[in-house]
Amino acid sequence: MKILVLNCGSSSIKFEFFSMGEETVLSKGIVEKVGMKGSFLRLEKNDGSKVNFTGDVLDHKIGVEYILGVLSSEKHGAVKSLNEIKAVGHRVVHGGEDFSGSVFINDEVIEVLEKNVELAPLHNPANLKGIYALQELLPDVPQVAVFDTAFHQTMKPEVFMYGIPYALYTKYKIRRYGFHGTSHRYVSARALEILNKKPEGLKIISCHLGNGASIAAIKDGKSVDTSMGFTPVEGLIMGTRSGDLDIGALTYIMRKEEIGIETTSILVNKFSGMLGITGVSSDMREIEEKAGKGNERAKLGLEMYAYRVKKYIGSYAAAMGGVDILIFTGGIGENAIDLRKEICKELEFAGINLDIDKNNTRGKETIISSEESRCKIMIVPTNEELVIAQDTFEIVKDINYSD
Amino acid sequence: MSEILTEPIENYALSKNARPHMKFSKVGIVGCGSTGQRIALMIASRGIEVVFLEISQDKIDEAYEELEEQLDEKINHWGLTESEKTLILSRLYGTLDYADFAACDLVIDAILSKTREFSKDIRQGVFKNIEEHVKPDTIIATNSTSSVITELSAELKYRDRCVSLHFSTTAPDATIVEIVRGLYTKEEVCVNVRKFAKLINKIPVPVEESPGLVSVRLGVSLISEACNLLMEGVATKEDIDFVSRKGIGMSLGPLEMADKIGLQRVVRWMDNLYNEFGDRKYKPSPIIKKIVRAKHYGRQTCEGFYKYDGLGYKLKDQSKEVQCPND
Repeated sequence: MKILVLNCGSSSIKFEFFSMGEETVLSKGIVEKVGMKGSFLRLEKNDGSKVNFTGDVLDHKIGVEYILGVLSSEKHGAVKSLNEIKAVGHRVVHGGEDFSGSVFINDEVIEVLEKNVELAPLHNPANLKGIYALQELLPDVPQVAVFDTAFHQTMKPEVFMYGIPYALYTKYKIRRYGFHGTSHRYVSARALEILNKKPEGLKIISCHLGNGASIAAIKDGKSVDTSMGFTPVEGLIMGTRSGDLDIGALTYIMRKEEIGIETTSILVNKFSGMLGITGVSSDMREIEEKAGKGNERAKLGLEMYAYRVKKYIGSYAAAMGGVDILIFTGGIGENAIDLRKEICKELEFAGINLDIDKNNTRGKETIISSEESRCKIMIVPTNEELVIAQDTFEIVKDINYSD
Repeated sequence: MSEILTEPIENYALSKNARPHMKFSKVGIVGCGSTGQRIALMIASRGIEVVFLEISQDKIDEAYEELEEQLDEKINHWGLTESEKTLILSRLYGTLDYADFAACDLVIDAILSKTREFSKDIRQGVFKNIEEHVKPDTIIATNSTSSVITELSAELKYRDRCVSLHFSTTAPDATIVEIVRGLYTKEEVCVNVRKFAKLINKIPVPVEESPGLVSVRLGVSLISEACNLLMEGVATKEDIDFVSRKGIGMSLGPLEMADKIGLQRVVRWMDNLYNEFGDRKYKPSPIIKKIVRAKHYGRQTCEGFYKYDGLGYKLKDQSKEVQCPND
């Protein structure tokens, strides 16, 4: 069954086209600068060749139309006819409290998604545009929504509530939701698969360290806690996001710098994190390079980054009463050798023993803990698009079309 | 590595319908003084190319310099990143030639308004010049609040394409644009201008043709009444502004606001409204006139009702002499 996976951002549309069953990628690409000048579609075919298509892409609908046009074209296509596309899976950022798993998209689901726009004003509207575009262009093809927040819906109230007046939860649903759910779910399940173990009784901590970063505590295969909260700013120090920050400091900064809500949001989302601390870059490779040449702030940034991750690992081990598997994923988690070493240092008391030699690897599924380590430390590259395709496949194959 | 192929995307549309092209991918601005610059930045920071016309190369260079300064200011206050600044600057292009407006979908007149009659003649000339060089469906707009759009468009060939488009530049994060349709303006133009406003993240507000519109008429009245309070000795200037901020909930008090707008501009607005309506309430207060006569225009000259540093921040010690780097 051929399934198209779409990830609509505010000005981009990522797509990946799968043949499920075999789980192979037939074609993938991205439409960038939707609604802006200089828009283009970049296609990567399964033979590795790349094609750029340039021209105006005014909105998401036109972007999706071009994606379908390219996929079904004679010259660059992956299918002869659009009829071969049997389902479409969408990444949807915020499912709020309404979705704890992936769902088949019908009118009621769309209504709830519309309602949740308030919770993710930057992301959900774009996700919806993609869904509407497909409804119009391929009205008979079933669509599935896969949520970033869904995996964390198993968190208990004592974990997801903030220490603020309860009325704010009842009024605006202010609580912790967590993100990167698709990734945490995939790598934790994949790790168990590699180790040939069942989820029951196992305590997993998965560190998704990419441009955005979050950690999840997973017990019996269910998320019990995660570091991102109401928005993706909470938790770890990220490329340009601050992570945990005293709200008192923030209001003090607002008063001192005479800045308003919008600018404050830009401050913690775009100027903070590794970029803000180091003054070098938000790119970990550049920071490591500068630190290697003796740049003090770059060194400080790396130490802060590792310390924050370590602190979360410790607190999640405490929350679950131990840890059996520690997973690193995401661009930084999969590749930053020194950082993994720094994070695991002195965690031996929790049974975490890194094998320095095995750790010397990048981007491959590997076990990097030493033989005597009680906790298995693993690198598991994430693959969110595949999860979306799998979920879509599972949901769609069970739908009876005969009625 | 093999070369990456590039093809036009239009060939891959599913339907044979003509693809709509990007409207407002390029916008022209006539006059790039402080108002023109603010408008240019609003538009360019939303990903749209801006061509601005000035009367001399010196003026263009000056505008570039000031535009860059304003972006740096934003960076210093966490409103923008360096790479965003580079991108925005790359979208701004200064010219001396109306012909460079040829590809624009919208051209906005933002020249300095003097007295109403004087400005009407000049603006009519500007409108004619624009029309000679743009496509027949390019929208021509003025940012002026005192000129009546019906009057400005009267002598054009396609006068149904003109509209007033007033950008509020007073409040720090003003989110509105006042849109005025003239007698001739066709509906399609209004619809497109509203779309444009949304494209640059502003809320369009429909306003009837009337000098001063809503924003200027109200703003000027507030400033005027604050001057009366000050002259009558009812309260100090600090307290008048303080009460307006804390008691009424304005983000700037009326006298601070006047300093920000530029006192000479406030006087010009008042003169225009006074001439138009003949109502004494719009007559510029002697207190402002006195300050303007001393060439103290507010923040831009570092002195108006208050004293400022070169960056527009109020001096902590108001008894200090000002040294203005802008002079």
